[in-house]
Amino acid sequence: MDSSQILSYTTFVYFGAFMTYLLGMVMNRAVLSRLGTYLSLLGFTAQTLAIIFRWVESYKMGIGHAPLSNLYESLVFFSWTLMLLYLILEWRTKNRIIGPFVTPLVFLAMAYASFSPNISSQIQPLIPALKSNWLISHVITCFFAYAAFALSLGISIMYLLKRLDTVKKNNLFLRLIPSTAILDDLNYQMIVIGFLMLTLGIITGSVWAHSAWGTYWSWDPKETWSLITWLIYASVIHARLVRGWKGKRIAILSIVGFACVLFTYFGVNYLAGLHSYAKK
Amino acid sequence: MKNAQSKNKPNAIRQFLSSVKLAIVLLILLAIVSIVGTVIPQGQGAVEFAKTLSPAMFRFLSTLQLFDMYNAPWFRLLIAFLSLNLVVCSINRFPSTWKRFSAKPAPDRSKPFENDSMEDFLEVSVNGDKASKRVEKILRSNYKNVRQKTSDGNHYFYGNKGRFSYFGVYVVHLSVLLILVGGLVGSFFGFEAYVNILEGEKTDRVIIRKTMRPLNLGFEVRCDKFSVDFYKTGTPREFKSNLTFLVNGKDVRTNDLLVNHPVEFGGITFYQASYGSVAGKEARLRIDKKSNKPVSSEKTVKNNISYPFPGGEGTYQVIDMRSDIMHLGPAVLISIQPKIGKPLEFWVFKNHDAVQKKLPPPMLASPKFNPEAFSPYRFSLTGLETVYYTGLQANRDPGVPIVWAGCFLMVSGLFVTFFMSHKRVWVRVLTRRTKTRIEVAGTTNKNPVGLQSERHKLISSLKNEFGKKD
Ligand code: HEM
Repeated sequence: MDSSQILSYTTFVYFGAFMTYLLGMVMNRAVLSRLGTYLSLLGFTAQTLAIIFRWVESYKMGIGHAPLSNLYESLVFFSWTLMLLYLILEWRTKNRIIGPFVTPLVFLAMAYASFSPNISSQIQPLIPALKSNWLISHVITCFFAYAAFALSLGISIMYLLKRLDTVKKNNLFLRLIPSTAILDDLNYQMIVIGFLMLTLGIITGSVWAHSAWGTYWSWDPKETWSLITWLIYASVIHARLVRGWKGKRIAILSIVGFACVLFTYFGVNYLAGLHSYAKK
Repeated sequence: MKNAQSKNKPNAIRQFLSSVKLAIVLLILLAIVSIVGTVIPQGQGAVEFAKTLSPAMFRFLSTLQLFDMYNAPWFRLLIAFLSLNLVVCSINRFPSTWKRFSAKPAPDRSKPFENDSMEDFLEVSVNGDKASKRVEKILRSNYKNVRQKTSDGNHYFYGNKGRFSYFGVYVVHLSVLLILVGGLVGSFFGFEAYVNILEGEKTDRVIIRKTMRPLNLGFEVRCDKFSVDFYKTGTPREFKSNLTFLVNGKDVRTNDLLVNHPVEFGGITFYQASYGSVAGKEARLRIDKKSNKPVSSEKTVKNNISYPFPGGEGTYQVIDMRSDIMHLGPAVLISIQPKIGKPLEFWVFKNHDAVQKKLPPPMLASPKFNPEAFSPYRFSLTGLETVYYTGLQANRDPGVPIVWAGCFLMVSGLFVTFFMSHKRVWVRVLTRRTKTRIEVAGTTNKNPVGLQSERHKLISSLKNEFGKKD
C-alpha cells in the first residue's frame, strides 16, 4: 500500500469525524462528539504516517525531497496542519463545538487532493529552483498561517450563527456554542497566530526568491495576493483598536481574509506567474 | 493606547493623520488596488494584454497608469500616505506609552485587590517583618523595579515584568518603514541585469533589464565550465557554472554558481538563472553516394573549411551550424562548389525523418531543405558539437540589508506585541493578631490568562518559601 492510498482512506476517516461532530452538536450527544475526536486522532495519525512514508518513498526513488512540492502534497499538508491546530485548540479549550465548523475544511482539502482528476498524486522530481531550505520554511509557515486563518473562519461563522441565536433565542444546537465574547477573543488569537505565520511565510518566501532569482519582491500574482491577504488581516488587527469594530465586523473581515487565502492558494493559478509549480 | 492629546487643542489634520481609522482605510485600499494589479498584467505581460483591448479602453487604463501600477506615482503616494499615517500616529502616541512604561505605581495601592478573587493568599505564622524580608527576596528574583512601603506594621510591595513589551508595536511599525525605505534605496541605487556567457568565454558587461542598456562591470567574468544533469524524466536536476572573476585580466577568484546559491563579487551578486546551448565548431557528417556500388563515409568536419568529394566532383563545406533552428532541432548549412555547374546551399537536419513530417509541403519541395540536392550524394548530420552558455542574473541592491533588518524587526516586534504583556503584581504582608497574611494581586495590559498563571506561579513560590504545600 503506498502513501497516497493511505491518504485517500484518511479522507473517509475525516469525513466520518465531521459527521460525528456534526451529529454530536445537532443531537446534543457528547458521546458522538467524543467519537469525532477519536476519528480525528485516527485520521491524523494515519495522515502523519503517510506523509512520512511519502518522504521515504521519494528517497527510494532517488529524487528525495520533503513532500511539499506540488499541489497534491500541499493540500495534504494543509489539511494536516489544520487538523493539528484544531486538535490543539480542542485540547486547550476542552470544547468540541468547533469541530463541525473546521473538520469539513480538513475533509474537503483531502477529498480535493485525492479525488480531483486534475491533481496528480505522483511524486515528482524537484527542479533546481525549488531545492531550498528557505522554500521548505516558506511552505510550512504559510500553511500554518492558512490553517490558523481557517480556524478563524470557522470561529467567525460560529460567531455569526451565535449572534443570530441571541436575536432569535432558544435555538437548540446553537446554545452549545460559547458566548460571543469568548468566540471573539478566540478569533482574535487565531488571527494573531495566522498573521505572525503569514508574515514569516512572506519573509521566508522573499529570502528564497532573492537567492533563486535575485529579487526579493517582484509583484508576481501569488506574491501580491499573499500581500493582499496580509493587508486584510493587518486591517483586522487594527480594527480591534477602533471602538465599534469588534465582533461582527471582525468576523466578516476574517471571512473576507480567508477568501483571499483561498485565492492566493488556488485562484492565482488562473493568473500567470512565477509560482507555476502550483499548477500540477 | 489612550489618545495623548489632552492639553493642546486637538489639531484636526494631525488628528486625521494619526487615526487608526485612516490606517484601516489605507490598508484596505492598498489591498484593493493590488488586486487590480494582479488582474491587469503588469510590465512585460502588459504588452500582450494591451493588444486585446479596444483603443478607448487602452487609453483609459494607460491614463490611470494601470500597466505599470506598482511603479506609478499614485501608488507610491498611497504608500507615502500610509507611512505618514504611521509616523504621525507613533509620534502622537509615544508620550503616553512612555508614561505607562516609566510609571511607578504606589506599592500600597488597594484597587488591584478589589477585583481579584481572594484565593491568592496564604497565612503564615512568621512575624510580619521577617516574612516581608523573605517575600522581598522572592519578588526581587522574579520581578523588576520592586518597590516597598511599610505603614502601620504592614508591608506593601510592587513589582513588574515585561514593560518593554509596550514598545513591540513601535518596533513593528518602524519595521514597516524600514522595509519601505529598503525598497526605495534598492530602486534608486540598484539594478537588475543579465548576461549569457558561452562556456570558455568571458565578458565585462551585462545588460540592464529595465533600459536594455549595457553596463560595464569593471571586472571580467569567465565561465570555465557549465554542467547540467537531468532526471530520468528529462527535467534538469541541477545546473552549475564554474565562474572565474578577473580584475585587470588576472584571475582573482573562482566560484561554483548554482541555482539558489548566488555568488557575490565586486558588490554585484550573480545568480544562476538559465542556460542554453549553441552549436560549436564541429559537425559529424555522413555522406552516402548512390550508385551501383554504394559508397558511404562518415567524417568530422570543421566549420568553414572545404572538403573534397571522394569522386572529385567538387568541394563542400559547412557554413552555418545551429543547435536548434525553427524548433526543428540541430541543423547545418552545407555549401557545395561543384566542378561543373552552379554552387548550391542546403540545410541538413539531424532529425531528418522527424523533420520531414513537420515541414510544410512548399518547404519540403524546396532544394534548400533537400539533403540529396547534390546527387548522387546524400548528406546526413549525425553529430553536432554543442557548447553551453550560462544565463546569469547580475544584480546590485544596496537596499537588501535594510529590508532584511526590517523583516527581522517585524517578526521580533510581532512576537513581543502578540505574546508578551506588561504584568504588574502587588503583594501585601498584613500583620494579623496571631498570623501574618500575604496577599497577591496583579494587573496586565492584555493577556489576562497569562496574568493568572503568573499569579499562581508567584503564590506557589511563596508557599514553597514558607514551607506550605499547594
Ligand atoms: C502595514 C502596516 C502595519 C502593520 C504591519 C501594523 C501592525 C500592527 C500590530 C501587529 C499591532 C499590534 C496589535 C495588538 O496589540 O494586538 C498594531 C497596533 C497599532 N497600530 Fe499598526 N500596523 C501597521 C500600520 C499602522 C498604521 C498606518 C497606523 C496608523 C495610525 C497604525 C496604528 C496602530 C496603533 C495606534 C496601534 C495600537 C498600538 C497599541 O495598542 O499600543 N498601524 N499595528
